[in-house]
Amino acid sequence: MILCIAMALAAPVAPASATLQPALEAELVRASALRLPDAPPPWLVIYDALDGTVHESAAEDGALYRTQHGPFRLVRAEVRVGDATVDSSNYSGFGEPDGVTTRRLPVEDDALALRREVWLATDVAYKNAVETLSRKLAARKSLQEPPPPDYQVVPPVVRPAGPHGGDGYTAEQTDDLARRLSDAASPVGVESAAAEVRDWHGWRLRVDSAGTRAWMATGNVVVRVEAVVRRPDGAEVRDARWWVGRDATSLPDADTMVAETRNMAQALLAAAATPSPEPWLGPVLFEGAAAAELFSQLLAPELVGTRPEESSESSLFKSGSAPLARVGRRLLPEGWRVWDDPSTRTGAAGEYEVDHEAVTPRRVDLVVDGVVRDVLMSRIPGKERTASTGHGRALGSDRRGALPGYVRVAPKQVISAKALRTRALGLARSVGHDRVLVIRRLMPPALQQQLEVAVQGEGPMAGLTMPYEACLLAANGECTPTRNLRFVGVDRRLLRDIVAAAPGEGPVDMLDGPPGPARYTIGTTGGVPTTWDVPSVLVSEVELDPADAGEPRALDIRRASP
Amino acid sequence: MMRRALFVAGLLGAAPAAAATDPTLATLQATLKEAQAQLAGLREPDPAYFVAYSVVEHRALNIQGSHGAHAGVVPERVRSVDVDLRLGSMQLDSTHKIRDESFFTAAGRPHWITGFEGASDPLRRLLLRATDDAYRAARARLLKVRSNEAVKVAREDDSDDYSPAPAVQREAPAPTLTVDVAAWSALTKAVSAVYLEYPEIYDSAVQLVVTEDDRWIVNNEGTAVVDGFRHLRVATWAETVADDGMGLSVYDYVDVGSTARLPDQARVEAMARAVAERTVALRHAPVIEPWTGPAILRGRAAGVFFHEIFGHRIEGHRQKDEDEGQTFTRRVGQPILPPFLSVLDDPTQAQLAGEDLNGHYAVDDEGVAAERVTLVDKGVLESFLMSRAPVAGFPRSNGHGRRQPGNDIVPRQGNLMVQAEGTVPYAELRKRLLAEIVRQKKPWGLVFDDISGGFTFTGRSTPNSFAVQPVTVWRVYADGRPDELVRGVDLIGTPLTTFARILAAGGEVEVFNGTCGAESGWVPVSASSPSLLVQEVEVQRREKGNDRPPLTPPPGAHP
Repeated sequence: MILCIAMALAAPVAPASATLQPALEAELVRASALRLPDAPPPWLVIYDALDGTVHESAAEDGALYRTQHGPFRLVRAEVRVGDATVDSSNYSGFGEPDGVTTRRLPVEDDALALRREVWLATDVAYKNAVETLSRKLAARKSLQEPPPPDYQVVPPVVRPAGPHGGDGYTAEQTDDLARRLSDAASPVGVESAAAEVRDWHGWRLRVDSAGTRAWMATGNVVVRVEAVVRRPDGAEVRDARWWVGRDATSLPDADTMVAETRNMAQALLAAAATPSPEPWLGPVLFEGAAAAELFSQLLAPELVGTRPEESSESSLFKSGSAPLARVGRRLLPEGWRVWDDPSTRTGAAGEYEVDHEAVTPRRVDLVVDGVVRDVLMSRIPGKERTASTGHGRALGSDRRGALPGYVRVAPKQVISAKALRTRALGLARSVGHDRVLVIRRLMPPALQQQLEVAVQGEGPMAGLTMPYEACLLAANGECTPTRNLRFVGVDRRLLRDIVAAAPGEGPVDMLDGPPGPARYTIGTTGGVPTTWDVPSVLVSEVELDPADAGEPRALDIRRASP
Repeated sequence: MMRRALFVAGLLGAAPAAAATDPTLATLQATLKEAQAQLAGLREPDPAYFVAYSVVEHRALNIQGSHGAHAGVVPERVRSVDVDLRLGSMQLDSTHKIRDESFFTAAGRPHWITGFEGASDPLRRLLLRATDDAYRAARARLLKVRSNEAVKVAREDDSDDYSPAPAVQREAPAPTLTVDVAAWSALTKAVSAVYLEYPEIYDSAVQLVVTEDDRWIVNNEGTAVVDGFRHLRVATWAETVADDGMGLSVYDYVDVGSTARLPDQARVEAMARAVAERTVALRHAPVIEPWTGPAILRGRAAGVFFHEIFGHRIEGHRQKDEDEGQTFTRRVGQPILPPFLSVLDDPTQAQLAGEDLNGHYAVDDEGVAAERVTLVDKGVLESFLMSRAPVAGFPRSNGHGRRQPGNDIVPRQGNLMVQAEGTVPYAELRKRLLAEIVRQKKPWGLVFDDISGGFTFTGRSTPNSFAVQPVTVWRVYADGRPDELVRGVDLIGTPLTTFARILAAGGEVEVFNGTCGAESGWVPVSASSPSLLVQEVEVQRREKGNDRPPLTPPPGAHP
C-alpha cells in the first residue's frame, strides 16, 4: 500500500539546465579555431550532452545488493575533419581512437567548469579525427569504387526545451520494487532470483556547428526479474519477466508485477519438474512476447541500411562494405508487410519526436508483399539510400547508425488464435507428432549467455535465443510445459517458412542494441527502446535440441521457509 | 544539498551492531554448522577439513570538486562473500599448486555478491550455494592435484599445504564515520578553483574518499571475527602535458583513520597550491638521460622502494613456489642488507611519525592475530611474511594472510618499516651525497623526493628487476649550483645489487600510505623509512606520450 501511494507520486523530471547550452555554444565557437599544422580544420563539431538522473537498484532473494542513485551528466564531443563527402567518420581501426570523445560533466551548473570538460574532450577528438582521416584515406587506396558520402547535410534544427512531461521512479521506489520482485520470484524450490530496476530520465541536447540547437526529453524505465531452478540432475531451468516503458506511469503497478512474478516462479517450478526434453523437429507456434522477440532478432538486421564502418586492410575484424539489409530480398511470405513509424503517439517506448541526430522520424514501408522495399537510415548515406529516415540512434557514444523504432508486422491474412493452434496441430500430425511445440517467451538478447547466437547464418549455431517458456500442445487443449530447448541453425530464412498467423497480443516494448554482436552485450538494463507489434505465427519446421545438462548440487540449498 | 547530506549519513550509518549477537555473524555461524553437517553426510573419502566464510561490506563515498565546481557525490556499497574450503588434509589438499597447469584449464575463483540488508535467509542460501560450488570445485581439483604429484618430480619444499592456528574470538565493530557531505562538497569545490589560476594545468580535481569496510569471518575451527577498517583520503591531482608530449601528473593526499583527523580547508588548499606549483615546474623541467650515480631516496620514496624490491620478495608463498625467483629463500640467517638496517612489518601499529598507518589491522583475513615480524635484524634475514600456508622452516602463520574480497589469500605486507641505527640529520646525509658525487667524479647526483608507485618481477621466467616511478626528482650539483627539478626518469635495478649499495640513513622517518596490488588483489599498506643514501642507482627514460598540449587555451584564461 505504501508503494502504491509512492507510485502515484512518481517524481516529475527536472527542467532543462539553463547553463548547459550556452556552455556548449561557447566551446563550439572556440572549436572552430582548432588547427594543426598541415591538417584540415574541423568541418563539423557536434556536442551531444545527456543530463538527467539515474535510479538503479538490484536485489537478490529480497535484499538489495547494488544501488546507484543520482545525477548523471556527460558530453559526447564529435569532431569531423574533411567534408561531408569524405571525412574522419565511418572508419574504425583496430584499437585506434576516433574523432569522438566522451567526458563526464560536473553536476553543478557552473559554466566555466562545464566548458573546461568540453574543451578537453574537443581537443582530443580533433587530434584523433585528423589521424583517423589519414588512416581512412590510406585504407581507401585499395578500393575499386569510392564509398558513398560520409554524412548527409540537413538544415539545422532548433528545438527549445519544453516541459519534460515524464515521470520517473524515485530512489525509494526502484529499491522497493527490486526487493519485492526478487522476493516474489524466490519461493521454496527456486535456487536464486534476482531483480533489476533502472530508471533514467532527463534531457538530450545536441548542439552542432551547423546551427542545430535541439533539446530532446529522454528517458526510459526497465524492470527485469529472473529466477533459476536447479533440477536434481543438475540442469538449470530459467525464466524471466521484464517490463520496459517510457516512464513509471507506463508500466503496470508494482502489485501487478509482483503477482505476475509469483506466477512465473510457480510455472518455472512446474516446468523444472518435467522430464528431460526430447529433440524437436517440426512445426513451432510462436505466441505473444515470443513472436515479438522472434521478429526482433531475425528481422531487425535485415531492415537497417547503415553501412558498416570502413576498416584498415590489416584489421582482424574487417567487415564488408554493404549493410546486411538488401532491398529486393524476400524475407516473409507473399502479402506480408512491415513498416516502422516512431512518429505515432500511442505511448509506446519506441516512439520519439526526433532521433539522436535531431532528425524527425518518418514512416518507412520496409517490407511489401514479403520483399524488402526500403531500409531504415540515419544521416550516414548508403549507396542507394542517401537520406535519413529519422532512425539515427545508438548506444552511448557509438556511431549514430539506424535502429528500429516502432515496427509493425502485418500478415496477408490472420486466422483466430484458436484456429492457428488447430492448424499447428494438424501440421504436427502430418510429420508424425501428436503434439505441437508452442513457445510463449524467448530469452531477450540482454540476458543471453550463449555467444553463439550472435553468429548469423545457417549451421550448428543457434541463431536465436533459447525459449524461456514453452509447452507441448495436445489436441485436447492441454499444453504440457517443456524446458531447456535450444534452437539449431536458425537464420532469417526461417521467416519465409511462416505458414499462418493470428492476431498478436499487442505491442511489446523492449531494449535493444544495433544489429550484430553488440546486441548481445548491452547489459540487462541497457539498450535503446524499441517497440514491436507482431502477430502470433506458425512456422512449418524448426529444429531444437536439449540444452546441456549441469552438475547436480552436493548440498541442499533450499529456502528455509516460505 | 541538505537532502544529499542526510542520504549519505544514512548510508554510512549501516555499521554492524555493537551487541555480541551480531546478526550477520550469527547467520554465518549457523550456516557453517548447517553446511558442515551436510558435508559430513556426503560420506566422501576426502573430508572438507577446513571451511571458512568471510563477508566484507565495502561502503565508499567520493565527494569531488573540479574546475571550481561541484563534480558530484558518488556512493558505493557492495557486500562480498568468500568461501574458503579445503578438501583432503593439511599435508596435501585441494589448494595445492598444480605444477605446469595450463592457464586455460585452471579454474577461476568464484566471487559472490550478496544483499547488504534484510533477512538472514538470502545470505544463508548464498553461502550454501557458494559452499556447494567450492566443494564441487575442490573435489575436481584434488583429483588433479594427486595426479600432478604422481607425475612430477619431488617438490623442493615438501612442507604442508596448511597449518593449524588458534581460534580467534573478536567482536570489535568499527565506529561509523559521520561526514558532513555539504561541507566537504563546498570545500572540494572551493579548493578545486585554485587550479584555475594555472593555465598550464589542464585537468585537476580535489576529492574526499571515505571508506568503511566491515568484515565478518567464521571458520570451522571456532574463529569468529567482527571488525572493520575505516579510511579517509583527502586527495588532489593535477595534469599537464609538456611541450615534448610527456604527460605529467602530480598527486598528493592525506590519509587518516577518523574524521577528527581530517585536514582543514587551509591545509587542503596549501596542498593543492603545492601540487599546482610542482606540476607547472615539472612542465618546464629538463628531461634527463639514462644515468648511474649516487642518490638519496627521501623517506617516502625509500619506503616505496623497499616495499617493491624487498617486501614482495619476502612474502612466504614465494619461497615455496618453484616458478618464483626465490631471491631470499635460502638466505635466512645471512646478511642481505647493510648492518645498520633492520626491517620489520607490524600491522598492529596504528600510527607512526604522527600519521595513521594504512596497513594497520588486528586480525588477518584468515582470522589469525597479526604479529610484529622482524624480517631483517641488523642486516641479517630473520623471517618471512606468513599466512597459514607453511614453508620450510616456517611452519605457522604470523598473521599476514591478506586479500581483497574475491581472491585467494596469500601473505602480504601490512606496515613495512625500515629502521636504521646511527642515522644522521638530513643535512649531513646531503653532505655525504655531495662527497660521494665528488668521489665518483660525477657532475651531479639525484634526490628522489617522492615516488608514485612501482612494480617488480619476482618470477623465474623474467629478469628479477624492479622499476619505481618517481614523481619529484632533483638534480644536485656538487659545485654549489642550486638544485634543479628534472623529469622523465624511472628508477630501475635488481634487488641484491641495489641493497649492497646503501651507504647511510638519515633524516626523519616518513610514511607512504597506499594500496598494493598482487595475486590476492588490492590491500591497504604503508611503508616507512628514513632517507637512504645509495652509492649508485640507475635511471632509465620514462615511457612518455606524444600528444601535443591542448591547441587552444582553457576557457576563461586570459591570453
